[in-house]
Amino acid sequence: MTTPYIKMEGIAKNFGPVQALKSVDLAIYPYEIHALLGENGAGKSTLMKILSGIYEPTAGKITIENTEYGKLDHKIAAKLGIGIIYQELSVIDELTVLENLFIGRLPIKKTFGINVVDWNNMRTRAAIMLLRVGLKIRLDEKVANLSISQKQMLEIAKTLMLEAKVIIMDEPTSSLTYNEVDYLFLIMNQLRLDGTAIVYISHKLNEIRRICNRYTVMKDGSSVASGQVESVSNDDIVRMMVGREVQNRFRSLKAEIGSDHDDIVFEVNNITSKDQRRVKDISFKVKKGEIMGFAGLVGSGRTEFMNCIFGVEPISAGKVLLHNVDITPLSPLDALKKGMGYITESRRENGFFDNFSIAQNIAISKSLKDGGYKGVIGLVKPGLERQLAEEQRHLLDLKCSSVDQNITELSGGNQQKVLISKWLCCEPEVIIFDEPTRGIDVGAKAEIYKVMRHLAASGKTILMVSSELPEIMTVCDRIAIFCEGRLANILDNNEHIREEDIMKWALPQS
Amino acid sequence: MEKSKFNFQMFWDQYGTFFILAIIVAIFGSISSEYFLKTNNITQILVQSSVTVLIGMGEFFAILVAGIDLSVGAILALSGMVTAKLMLAGFDPISAALIGGVVVGGLLGAINGCLVNWTGLHPFIITLGTNAIFRGITLVISDANSVYGFSFGFVNFFAGSVIGVPVPVIFAMVIAVILWFITSRTRLGRNIYALGGNKNSAFFSGIDVKFHMLIVFIISGICAGLAGVVSTARLGAAEPLAGIGFETYAIASAIIGGTSFFGGKGRILSVVIGGLIIGTINNGLNILQVQTYYQLVVMGGLIIAAVALDRLISK
Repeated sequence: MTTPYIKMEGIAKNFGPVQALKSVDLAIYPYEIHALLGENGAGKSTLMKILSGIYEPTAGKITIENTEYGKLDHKIAAKLGIGIIYQELSVIDELTVLENLFIGRLPIKKTFGINVVDWNNMRTRAAIMLLRVGLKIRLDEKVANLSISQKQMLEIAKTLMLEAKVIIMDEPTSSLTYNEVDYLFLIMNQLRLDGTAIVYISHKLNEIRRICNRYTVMKDGSSVASGQVESVSNDDIVRMMVGREVQNRFRSLKAEIGSDHDDIVFEVNNITSKDQRRVKDISFKVKKGEIMGFAGLVGSGRTEFMNCIFGVEPISAGKVLLHNVDITPLSPLDALKKGMGYITESRRENGFFDNFSIAQNIAISKSLKDGGYKGVIGLVKPGLERQLAEEQRHLLDLKCSSVDQNITELSGGNQQKVLISKWLCCEPEVIIFDEPTRGIDVGAKAEIYKVMRHLAASGKTILMVSSELPEIMTVCDRIAIFCEGRLANILDNNEHIREEDIMKWALPQS
Repeated sequence: MEKSKFNFQMFWDQYGTFFILAIIVAIFGSISSEYFLKTNNITQILVQSSVTVLIGMGEFFAILVAGIDLSVGAILALSGMVTAKLMLAGFDPISAALIGGVVVGGLLGAINGCLVNWTGLHPFIITLGTNAIFRGITLVISDANSVYGFSFGFVNFFAGSVIGVPVPVIFAMVIAVILWFITSRTRLGRNIYALGGNKNSAFFSGIDVKFHMLIVFIISGICAGLAGVVSTARLGAAEPLAGIGFETYAIASAIIGGTSFFGGKGRILSVVIGGLIIGTINNGLNILQVQTYYQLVVMGGLIIAAVALDRLISK
């Protein structure tokens, strides 16, 4: 810990009139894992893009190993050994695992004087790397067939192949399971002991406490604090990030915004997916105003189960009952008309429409519900759509300059609110939230939790899938735990419950 | 916000195609003003463009859902042929045109739509195939001969005009207004834009994806069928090889009109202007007595230039 490997001083970055970074100081030493903290929009990703040579800073200097640079470009960054793992996956679905690992830098050998791809060399190195990150997949598997968490681990493996001296990780764990996170941390520790510096961007404070040595907090484009992780409390960090007191996420919201209904509203009986493998014989009952959390490892069948009860995937057996009436949906439209709503796992892929305004995004499902024959017959009324959107904007405290703005101009948290609004205005009785806070900053997360609790208090029944146990323990009344396509157990959520109590049901018993 | 500041990109999105049209008119007008800008010629351009505008508007729907319809030329020919045959068989022109244009066109479009839905293949492949199939059927039922000798009333009707506006132009305008209404005012139209913007989101939001794909191809088929009726009337004969290569014009109208190939973005009005641009270029080159073969070369170049310009400005 003598001289920093990378020192960034007074970094500023303007995009036209927008000042994304005002003045950032960041020092990264070898043998450390450095947490970079801040709300979404604080400028973390911009800063990292400057460090990896994608953006040119407007002002400031970067010193790397005693050499001063005004800016970096992609090539210099690669030569200096700066690797980055982006938040959005950059693996290519159409290629195999092997090809993805070596993309852009295929090893070459000479056969009869001609340069050809050295497949044997590739296979050996790839196999070692997969072993190292604990991925049990075939090298020739198409990446499209991998789960999101496997893709994320592959992404990490790809960057590790670079043998970088500095690795930037932008929220690498947002789609990983507990086991995978453990594995990743093991790898990170090894790397650190080998002298690699890691910049770790995450919103999960417990992870930062587990793995990071030092931290830097950013707020509104400036670095506001830096220091040793062990000398600062979680509350301090959150306060520095948001500049205000935020509800401690580990305290149960349930007590604060409780709901007291007793009647069973929603019931699922023996739901089994068409392939009889991913979802097996799921039955449970949920009360009015209750939030049922769904915990489990990624790939345990939770999303698939939600797809089954929403008519997205065909089922081979089972029934869905609402008020004791069989409503087993045949299609999402059917589910919508029968009083269900579904906030999906990935907003961009199957949530919103990037060609629509906020108002149009909010109005679409209501329009389908109200419209005749398959939601086709009828007129759209832009004035009413806007009015509807304004109501929702007020209700959910949606931050936008106008409901006519394109949805892609919003932050992740506000996009999520738009999607919640879209279903709320259909007045469903049962709402499914699948990973509702993925990629959303701490402040917005707390808001989403509050919205969910308020919905429950107003009598809605909520099913919430989440891979973050603290989140489930904060929001839910009961916790259903999935394991390999089965419902392993349902636990009551109370202050005595610990993460281990949930995990022991989620892990496959051999 | 910065309302007062002039936003060139938004302005271009809205009115860009009008500018391209204006520039092209200005170019031809200055080269050959004595013929080109005459009222007669302008009417002529509008009439000639009506077929292109019709198939272009149909194509617009296929491209709006990130698909494509390569069979519009063949549907045009088969619909026109059936209309002519029906009239020869004794049907009155109105029912012949309705059956030939709307029913046959819609049916052929429905075949495209069903095949896309059942096979899950990209519409490019399906309509590449059906283009050949429909053309083949046209040749079979006509024995590869032109069909003529049907009612003069039919031909005269489409050759006439109402208060100076030629009937084919009115025809295309009426269809344009209907389609504009569908796209901008109905739930159906909104659903189609949604489907084009994000198919997965559309499905999860409750849109019946397959049903809407079917409707899109039926609309494209009907537009091409009606274009077949107009072109049969204008020629006074149904040609088995009518409409060959027209998919180029249809696609060009849609994309010059700013329709995104990725789906979800575009407007009917701009597609109409796009069709007029194609018609104007064709007419202008004719007046300048450019050989037909060279016209194709110029046309191709202009298509690329128009879209490249649009991209450049949108960036």
